[in-house]
Amino acid sequence: MPKNPIAPAIGRRGALRLAAAAGTAAIASRTARAASALHEAPGLALLTQQGKLPPAAQRLPNNPEIVQPSVSVGRYGGTMRSAVRGDADHNAILRLVGNMGLTRWTPDFAKAIPNVAESWTTNQDASVYTFKLRQGMRWSDGHPFTADDIIFFTDDLLPDTAFYAAPPPQYVINGKLMQGEKVDDYTVRLIFAGPYLTFPERLAGPLGQHPVLYAKHYCSQFMPKYNPDIGKLLAETHQPDWATLFRQHCGDIETPARWANPARPVLDPWVVSTPYTGGATEVVLTRNPYFWQVDPAGNQLPYLDAISFKVISDIQSIVLAAVGGQMDLELRHVALINNKPVLAQHEKSGRYSLVELDTTDVSAAALFLNQTDKNPALRALLTNHEFRRALSHGIDRDEVNDIVFLGQSAPWQTSPLPQDPFYNKQLAIQYLDYDEDKANGILDKLGLTRRDSNGIRMMPEGGRVFLTADADVENPQLIDVLQLVKQHWAKIGVDLAIKPMERSLFYERGQNNDYDIDIMGLPGGLHPYTDPRAWLSVQPLDSRESLPWVHWYQSGGKMGEKPSPSMVERLQLWDQWKEAPNQQRADALLRQILQLAADAFEVIGISRGTTVFGVRSDRLKNVPAKMPMGWEYPTPAPTLPQQYWMAET
Amino acid sequence: MARFIIRRLLGMIPFILLVSFTVFVLIKLPPGDFVSNYAANLSASGETVNQATLIQMRHEFGLNAPFLVQYWHWIWGVLHGNFGYSFKWQQPVGTLIGERLGLTLILSVSALLFTWAVALPIGVLSAVRRYSIADYLVTFVSFLGLSVPGFLLGLVLMYIGVTVFGENLGGLFSPQYLNAPWSLARVVDLLRHLWIPMVILGIQGSASLIRIMRANLIDQLHQPYVDTARAKGLRETTLLVRYPIRVALNPFVSTLGWVLPNLISGSVILSIVLNLPTAGPMLFDALLAQDQFLAGAFLLLLCALTVIGTLLSDILLALLDPRIRVQ
Repeated sequence: MPKNPIAPAIGRRGALRLAAAAGTAAIASRTARAASALHEAPGLALLTQQGKLPPAAQRLPNNPEIVQPSVSVGRYGGTMRSAVRGDADHNAILRLVGNMGLTRWTPDFAKAIPNVAESWTTNQDASVYTFKLRQGMRWSDGHPFTADDIIFFTDDLLPDTAFYAAPPPQYVINGKLMQGEKVDDYTVRLIFAGPYLTFPERLAGPLGQHPVLYAKHYCSQFMPKYNPDIGKLLAETHQPDWATLFRQHCGDIETPARWANPARPVLDPWVVSTPYTGGATEVVLTRNPYFWQVDPAGNQLPYLDAISFKVISDIQSIVLAAVGGQMDLELRHVALINNKPVLAQHEKSGRYSLVELDTTDVSAAALFLNQTDKNPALRALLTNHEFRRALSHGIDRDEVNDIVFLGQSAPWQTSPLPQDPFYNKQLAIQYLDYDEDKANGILDKLGLTRRDSNGIRMMPEGGRVFLTADADVENPQLIDVLQLVKQHWAKIGVDLAIKPMERSLFYERGQNNDYDIDIMGLPGGLHPYTDPRAWLSVQPLDSRESLPWVHWYQSGGKMGEKPSPSMVERLQLWDQWKEAPNQQRADALLRQILQLAADAFEVIGISRGTTVFGVRSDRLKNVPAKMPMGWEYPTPAPTLPQQYWMAET
Repeated sequence: MARFIIRRLLGMIPFILLVSFTVFVLIKLPPGDFVSNYAANLSASGETVNQATLIQMRHEFGLNAPFLVQYWHWIWGVLHGNFGYSFKWQQPVGTLIGERLGLTLILSVSALLFTWAVALPIGVLSAVRRYSIADYLVTFVSFLGLSVPGFLLGLVLMYIGVTVFGENLGGLFSPQYLNAPWSLARVVDLLRHLWIPMVILGIQGSASLIRIMRANLIDQLHQPYVDTARAKGLRETTLLVRYPIRVALNPFVSTLGWVLPNLISGSVILSIVLNLPTAGPMLFDALLAQDQFLAGAFLLLLCALTVIGTLLSDILLALLDPRIRVQ
């Protein structure tokens, strides 16, 4: 089994020595800049001299990607400190280190550009993509990275039902799997059964990394096809099948196991040296000597020697560590609007500054009204457009904004954000104004005129107009929002009960369709097609306007419940959108979907997504002061942490 | 005595098997399973996961099998010394628990010794010098210790540490020793961090122990046998240690059954707040995530420790108190 030669060599003490050497090396690299030769980190240069590593020119591809630093060319050295939570917070590492797909988003989240691939071309109807890889590019263990690695995924893993009981939908078009075709060692064709316009954007997000996640020379040893002795290995490790064993060693996109095996070859800028395991107190990733990007001065990236994630179980302790200046970059768990005052207050003493994380969310708080409520009387009300309009007019959004979101948000329904090309004005501002009289008038017209002694309206068939809202206790902001909404709605004679509950119960009740209203944040503010949960019932966990509708759609009409005519139409348009042969057609379809969603108005938005804040220490350079916050992006990967550097180390 | 011990040991086996079933039922009882929790957690961080991946995971972990089949697979493995794999970490459960056990025991045992070292003398003092200024002071402090939860003390200490001293008090090691191999310097570093949770846990534990010791001893101090001994001219300290304290210790020994499992799972919240790499937070996470084999193994271990602890305390009681005899 090939081992990473660098991992044991750069231990903690090695890193200190590197840090000491960094100062002199920086001067050396500046004098040598005139020559267009490659430069490498001092620690790697040492290993090269000792003959433990091949020279830099042989480690890098013939044409490494030249990355423009966001501010200045940096210096080598330093360990960046950040945090992960103890319970399956693997995506904290993914976001900083591991978003190495064939493509990536530009730093402004505008479009997908080549990343691992040098370039790509596509045919007329966007059903065949030809990716050119970099000649001479290598995995972190020095083994060449070629078209075979991608073919390994498309031919050996993707179609194998033992590996994928159901294939990931991003590689399925028209019910047919993506096909791979090797043109030569550095050219590969990915072929779909129909047009797939958004494929490069899918590849740029975290869920599109599969084709370049698995190194064939390493991972194939866990497959019966390549390793006839697999039975022995399974018996030794008490594993039921090869797929389990494979995932334990080669990981998957979103599992802790991905960061638990230092021997797994990667294309990332840093490689795990202290793994993320159940007993870990710290996760350390050290420089990948074979990383394939350079800066304009010819310095091999990354600049930073290592990233150290401290494992901290309690989120408040992470905030405390950030405030105490113990984090060089923490964008994840501290990024809540309520933390802004405490973070801002200690900026000086903690020697850090705030990073503005621009929201990519549609809404910080949205009410999903269950369109398939089990209670027939309530269902009649919740599916009534006029009733929903009254509820919307009955919410004082300015008060919610001032009290819960510290004035940092704004009243908003469920449109994509104004800067997005798919912004829909009606979907953004309809029924936003707080108007008790208007709301009461609408409800009176609906025949809900009788009131009980508390002023709560009575249903015509008896019983009060009584709605229950479920909320996840781990998001106390949303519960605060509900408290205010409850007061507002009492004024229009609608009684709201708030049920905060443990997260798994919240999701279980969703799956069982046991709720009237759910309150949640709403992603998809930019590139709305990446998460259309509020406009289209396609998201099996979170399209809470009606999960039975999602089941209906996913099962092709066999299960669940047939959606409203408007939703059926939207879902048909969505199917057409997926196969749209050109961009104009696709965009027109998406606009049509959003317009239908605006007319149907199933989800009541309360507040727009808010800008939140993370921290970066003053010594960490090249971190943009402002970046988008989102999972598809995923923050901060497209700003390229490999070009962050440390001023004094 | 030997017959008694063997009989008790044999009785444990069916009992623990019964408990293992109950434990498994309890773990499976909350809504959802590991996979739905996993998806819910990701979803709550704004992250998504494919439905296909979820189906794959359920298939891989055998979560689709009927309850009894899952239980059977688990208990069959346990009987063969294979506690299964943690779903979340994809590591053997035995390794996971083992990794954390050492530091957990160091912390709990030191906190326990600290508690006893503080509580017993103070308890005796405040009983013997009842209604003196020292007694009032001790009573006041111990009621304070009883009423302030440990995690709050931990949080306050940490906040002071960060804002006043600019130092993080959490964890058991300084950053440079986190992953260093064991050495004298690392032990010193451990001791420098260990005292905070030890004292916090100690304050909590001693507060109640002081009260118990005081009450027990006061009960004994006015018994006729004490007066008799005193009348016969025994020195006051000898008298105290030889008779009333010995009797007053009974309740301590009989609670030993709870001390053993507490060594593993005590102080969960404090450990989470202070970020201690002990077993408590891992058990807590496993239960929340419904990581059934990890949680199951933990609970089974705790139960076994309780049973053993009860047996030990019975034996010790017999040794300590001549009035108690095996029938």
